[in-house]
Amino acid sequence: MAPDSAAPVVLPHVRRSLDAADEQELVRRVARSDRRAFDELYRRTAPWLEVRLRRRCADPDVVADVLQETYLAVWRSAGSFAGGHVKGTAVGWLWTIAAHRLVDAFRRRARQGRMPQVHPADTVAPAAEEVALAGRVGQELETALAALPPEVRAVLRATVLDGFSVRETSVLLGVPENTVKSRVRRARIALREALS
Amino acid sequence: MTTHPTLGEIDRYAAGEPGLDEATVWSIEVHLEGCADCRARLAGGTTAASRTLITEVAAALDREIAAGPTPRARAFFRTPVRQRWFVAVLLPWVVMAAAVLGTAALLTHSLPHLPSIVLLLAPLAPLPGVAAAWSRRTDPAWELIAGTPSAGLTMLLRRTAVVLVLVIPVLAAFGAVGANRANPALMLLPCLAFTAATLLLGSFVGVARAAIGLMVAWAAAVVAPSLATAELPVLLTPAAAGPWALGTVALAALTLLRAGTFRRLTSF
Amino acid sequence: MRTVSTAETAATIHPWAIHAQALRVRAGRHLAVDGLDLSLGTGVHGLLGPNGAGKTTLIRALATVAKPAGGKLTLLGTPVDGRADLRPARRALGYLPQHFGFYPRFTVREFVAYMAWLKEMPKADVPAATQRAIDRVGLAAKADARLKTLSGGMLRRAGIAQAIVNDPQLLLLDEPTVGLDPEQRLDLRELLRDLGTDACVLVSTHLVEDVVAACTDVVLVNEGRLLWQGAPEALGAQGDAGHPGDSPAERGYSALLRRHRAEATR
Repeated sequence: MAPDSAAPVVLPHVRRSLDAADEQELVRRVARSDRRAFDELYRRTAPWLEVRLRRRCADPDVVADVLQETYLAVWRSAGSFAGGHVKGTAVGWLWTIAAHRLVDAFRRRARQGRMPQVHPADTVAPAAEEVALAGRVGQELETALAALPPEVRAVLRATVLDGFSVRETSVLLGVPENTVKSRVRRARIALREALS
Repeated sequence: MTTHPTLGEIDRYAAGEPGLDEATVWSIEVHLEGCADCRARLAGGTTAASRTLITEVAAALDREIAAGPTPRARAFFRTPVRQRWFVAVLLPWVVMAAAVLGTAALLTHSLPHLPSIVLLLAPLAPLPGVAAAWSRRTDPAWELIAGTPSAGLTMLLRRTAVVLVLVIPVLAAFGAVGANRANPALMLLPCLAFTAATLLLGSFVGVARAAIGLMVAWAAAVVAPSLATAELPVLLTPAAAGPWALGTVALAALTLLRAGTFRRLTSF
Repeated sequence: MRTVSTAETAATIHPWAIHAQALRVRAGRHLAVDGLDLSLGTGVHGLLGPNGAGKTTLIRALATVAKPAGGKLTLLGTPVDGRADLRPARRALGYLPQHFGFYPRFTVREFVAYMAWLKEMPKADVPAATQRAIDRVGLAAKADARLKTLSGGMLRRAGIAQAIVNDPQLLLLDEPTVGLDPEQRLDLRELLRDLGTDACVLVSTHLVEDVVAACTDVVLVNEGRLLWQGAPEALGAQGDAGHPGDSPAERGYSALLRRHRAEATR
């Protein structure tokens, strides 16, 4: 898996078949211990995963650990996804694995007393050229989201967007479980008001 | 799929810039989970630090994968038989029941003046298997299983069903042959009734004890006198089929009512 | 993306993960736990006591495997004595007995997955959770090996994997370090401390040094009753040079036992 310039020679028909395969198909091949498919899956999804993880954890060591553990788990347990028991897309499955490994990494660091920094919250005010956003998330929703304090938004992102449970969110953000729950309730009330 | 973000937005997202507002970031992340093209665009826009990290992890992965065993590709929940290990454990009991029934069939054939021994023993055929279904001795992981939410009447019924599925064909086969020909209802209904009775009694004293108790009681009260007097017992005359059916239903209903006690049923 | 249910965000009001009041549990005919009061929250708690003190019986009662003969027992806010429904508590529970049996022909992965299925985890989550549990205990290299081919230490780690597969809020381990070599014991201590960050972990052991190294809290029981509860350092402060033991904690342990026995004979 060296950078492309030093990549081992890949026969044209193999290259074509890899290019044509979507992530689902790649995972199925990884389940059959296809190393090339694994490398291709890594090439396609690692940047996305790395960027997303970096936005949840400012510590690059943790991100590297989580990335490594995630893809190792993919290599070892691709058969379980390919077996058809897992709902959703291959990429969604990848994120689920990475999310759990992230929580485990935070627990390890909590035990060692070196809590990793959570990424600082994004700014609230949209820049002028972002007006086009209105079509995407919905203007009222966006304003409501912007009106929430950053810690509430962080909790929402962890639970709704990333799929963490309340307990896992409390580990990631370093706040007690009941605080997480009350923040989600606040968000729910605020968003419901905004949408009604 | 939501609309594609602009290349500029993707670049700023990839660079980890805090300038993007939260709602945009959320849209981008939701979109990226579903769109391979935008992920490819993202790959083009990553920072040098990201690319180095990704390459380092790639090298580490190479090492780890080379060092470990190749994963075996197999369906996760393998054949039910493996998962239901229980059938393998049950087989000796079923073989024993089959052997006893076979002997009974032979005896009946060679001693035609006696009532059908297969018919006499039919109610007891599944009981050893049922006793084995909830016993610390046959299930090595019993202590682990007893603490799981699945432990209870459903699990016991599932295992009992396996016992019945294995034993009843054997019973039917021996019962249909030659001199042993007996009314199938008279063979199967007492079988089911006794199984239900074992479960019901088992909720009070333990399944294995209940099975043994019922076997001894039936052997002493019905089988022995019947063999001694060479007469078919009243309980196994064709007229008794109706009461047996009613009894089975009643016992089953009572067992279901006591379903809660099975969650913490001990075994000896 | 997912929806967050209202049930998830209902505030939890139970202060203790384990709350026992005057608990009595029989082991056979003998009343092994006799009037025990115990309150444990998040963290790693070490359960110490001489042989026959009722540790195993207590853990079995907490795992809802043994039925209490009397007293009150509440796990994670739900009562588990009497005729209460045990399933909610059992779903959030992880248990590893001291002598745990296993199915020899199962592989590690199959065994852990089977236990995950028995713990009523959603079927779609079982494979990923199995892999995660196997990775956390360090058995990734042996995930597809049959259980009968594993050494004692690996077998115990497989047992721990099945205990943590459902990410339990309450983890009960009865003598988990038996049969582990020193390095494996260190790894286990780290794992226990990880787990203790957001779960209540109760580890029964007869090795005092295990307790001091991994536990935030020590619970000492003798003859079925709670003798003492406190931090490992406080345990050390209970004894002095006059008591037998090679470490402050051991000396504190012997001091407390001696005091209790002296009071009992009075």
